[in-house]
Amino acid sequence: MLIARSAKATIVGAGVLLFLSTASPADAYVGPGAGFALLGSFFVIFATMILAGVSLLILPFRTLWRIMKRRTKVKPLVPRVIVVGFDGQDTRITEKLMAEGKMPNFSRLAERGCYSRLRTTFPSITPVAWSSFSTGVNPGKHNIFDFLDRDPRTYLPRLSSAYIGSVDRFLKIGKYRIPLAKPEIRLLRKSKAFWKVLGEHNIWSTILRVPITFPPERFYGAQLGAMCIPDLLGTQGTFMLFTTRPESEAFQEGGMRLDLKGDGDQWKGTVKGPENIMIADNPPLELSFQLEIDRKEQTGRLTVGSEQVDLKLGVLSEWAKLEFKVVPGMKVAGLCRMMLTEMDDHVSLYLSPINIEPEKPAMPISHPGYYSTYLEKRIGPYATLGLAEDTWALNEKVTNDQAFWTQSQDVELEREKMFFAALDRLRKGCLVTVFDATDRIQHMYWRYSEKGHPAAQDTDNPEFADAIEKHYLLNDSLLGRVLDRLNDDDALFVLSDHGFTSFRRGVNLNAWLLQEGYLYLKEDADGTSEWLQDVDWSRTSVYAVGLVGIFLNIKGREEHGIVAPGEEVEKLKMELQQKLAGFEDREKSEIGINEAFDTDLIYRGPYKGNAPDLLIGYNHGYRISWDCAAGKVAGAVFEDNIKAWSGDHIVDPRLVPGIFLSNHKINNDDPSIVDLAPTILTLFGLQPAPHMEGSSLLDPADITPAKN
Amino acid sequence: MFSSAKIKLDKSLVDRIRKFSEIAGYASPEEFITHALEKELAHLEDADSEEEIKKRLQGLGYMS
Repeated sequence: MLIARSAKATIVGAGVLLFLSTASPADAYVGPGAGFALLGSFFVIFATMILAGVSLLILPFRTLWRIMKRRTKVKPLVPRVIVVGFDGQDTRITEKLMAEGKMPNFSRLAERGCYSRLRTTFPSITPVAWSSFSTGVNPGKHNIFDFLDRDPRTYLPRLSSAYIGSVDRFLKIGKYRIPLAKPEIRLLRKSKAFWKVLGEHNIWSTILRVPITFPPERFYGAQLGAMCIPDLLGTQGTFMLFTTRPESEAFQEGGMRLDLKGDGDQWKGTVKGPENIMIADNPPLELSFQLEIDRKEQTGRLTVGSEQVDLKLGVLSEWAKLEFKVVPGMKVAGLCRMMLTEMDDHVSLYLSPINIEPEKPAMPISHPGYYSTYLEKRIGPYATLGLAEDTWALNEKVTNDQAFWTQSQDVELEREKMFFAALDRLRKGCLVTVFDATDRIQHMYWRYSEKGHPAAQDTDNPEFADAIEKHYLLNDSLLGRVLDRLNDDDALFVLSDHGFTSFRRGVNLNAWLLQEGYLYLKEDADGTSEWLQDVDWSRTSVYAVGLVGIFLNIKGREEHGIVAPGEEVEKLKMELQQKLAGFEDREKSEIGINEAFDTDLIYRGPYKGNAPDLLIGYNHGYRISWDCAAGKVAGAVFEDNIKAWSGDHIVDPRLVPGIFLSNHKINNDDPSIVDLAPTILTLFGLQPAPHMEGSSLLDPADITPAKN
Repeated sequence: MFSSAKIKLDKSLVDRIRKFSEIAGYASPEEFITHALEKELAHLEDADSEEEIKKRLQGLGYMS
């Protein structure tokens, strides 16, 4: 199906406004373990109509009540605060391009207000840094220390930011099971986001795609969630490749490889959907499709259900809607993009991860629940997956540099439309939008920018030699459009959460811990199993889980802890810090690790006990290895990184500060990302909350109060 | 997700929670209480299976 954007646009108007004021979030959920549980469509329509009627009747009273509530006592210094985040925009690259005059809008803003490097969090990664931005506190108070947490009972990793439970109560009717509860979906980021504080004072915020806002929290404003929203399968993004190639040519690590059956120009395949928990044993939902190809024209037409998708070899399709039938009268829908990747001797078709459809989301991805629907009506279909750009498929060489570029830029364009739609509607309040593509582009194209990078071997496409610079210039162009639409009395902040650097060499910390006698394998185990399954915990004192640090196996904390809390822990941490300070990669005669940081000293707050005991401060060019991240112990301590994912920022945070620009001059020459929340509260005339740690970067006396 | 339930606590306990939640670095007394209860529940609840965990992490680019 090609969704008709023009037709969608016409729907915006009175119908949407009515819907916004009346509709309730769809009672449908999809997710890992949870499968899905949803109300029948008839009931949803019936309930919506009743709600619509009641809402219209009480509309005058609601309006009056809102006007009374908004008579807030606070006196904002500015009517609007606009925050534009460019995830991962690096200081060195930005400063070089500004100095060369290639980013005139960044320079214009810097001259008008300020430009500065922005201290990031320890560690310098997206979920941690944006959580500190949102809450104004260090990770010890917001509980996000990494992409991953670990379960001390099992030593297994788990997503640090969201918990999605399962349903265990059903009503059985024949072969069907009706869930009697919704699965629990819980945000694990703690403390309080500044937009929640603003809302308590009746100040509106629109928060678009700020990482670690899934599931959405209730507040006075609107929010579209971001990082860690799963795909329809409940994973962080699983692509599918339908192919006629034999099984032996399967992927090394990820994605689903599925058969394409048929011959000549007619092919068939079956898309794997989420588990159907409405039937015993949760069989996966499936969706059959037919593919007709035209080898001469290098095109294809895919028919799935009542939808038709036109395809061209090597070109990503528009969003296509996939509807999986759950039980009679019940469907769950997702969006994906497709691409024919070959049609010679073999035929292969790429299917992007199936995004939760925003129009009728199968899981809560926005606040209010209908906000994602509203956005879909305004701008058309859009990516909802947390990490929306399919880095995995490019790593596996299923897609290519061009397809990834297209995908990233299209997501960025969707985001831009959302941002400007929100900016145009905002009269008073706060708007925050994070654009992710800067991060993804640098992860995947860094190999083009660095001679001798181990992953540069196949990077012979000159079109992408300057992909990173090209994207920075697009950011500059976007900033220009923002500046053109800014009012004189608006406050604007532009920032990134961290910078970027090369990822040439991976470090397998667990292999090193094994060598040094801190970690032991079970008898007969060779250390090649994932998730530390080969580790003998009864003898292991130190282990690495996640991406940023190492844990001690502490008695009373870990299930099979052997290190006594107190003096023994402190002694062991010191010993490890000494060994890891200036840790050398002898093969390359380079320093791989600058320093290991004791989290007991760098964090404050009630959750610091959940952090890794030591954070590893890698040098430029180094990062945790792919094997170590997957929990494998075997292999060399240092290894070349040959994947397309060739740039990173999981290094010593002092090496990768973020950028900060504002249309106001600031009072601090060393700003930190935790300063943003108190600064924004100050601009709205509020005192930063006592638990917040940063301080306002602006002096209220320097800003003329906003006119009411 | 947004639903909540009320639980009665002794007033003196609530006063102590109010006093110490700020000192401990919580954003609110509710966060303090929630954290305390979640820590206790973690000892009682079952851990997720390896298969389930692996599925949830699948596709996280930093690990692929």
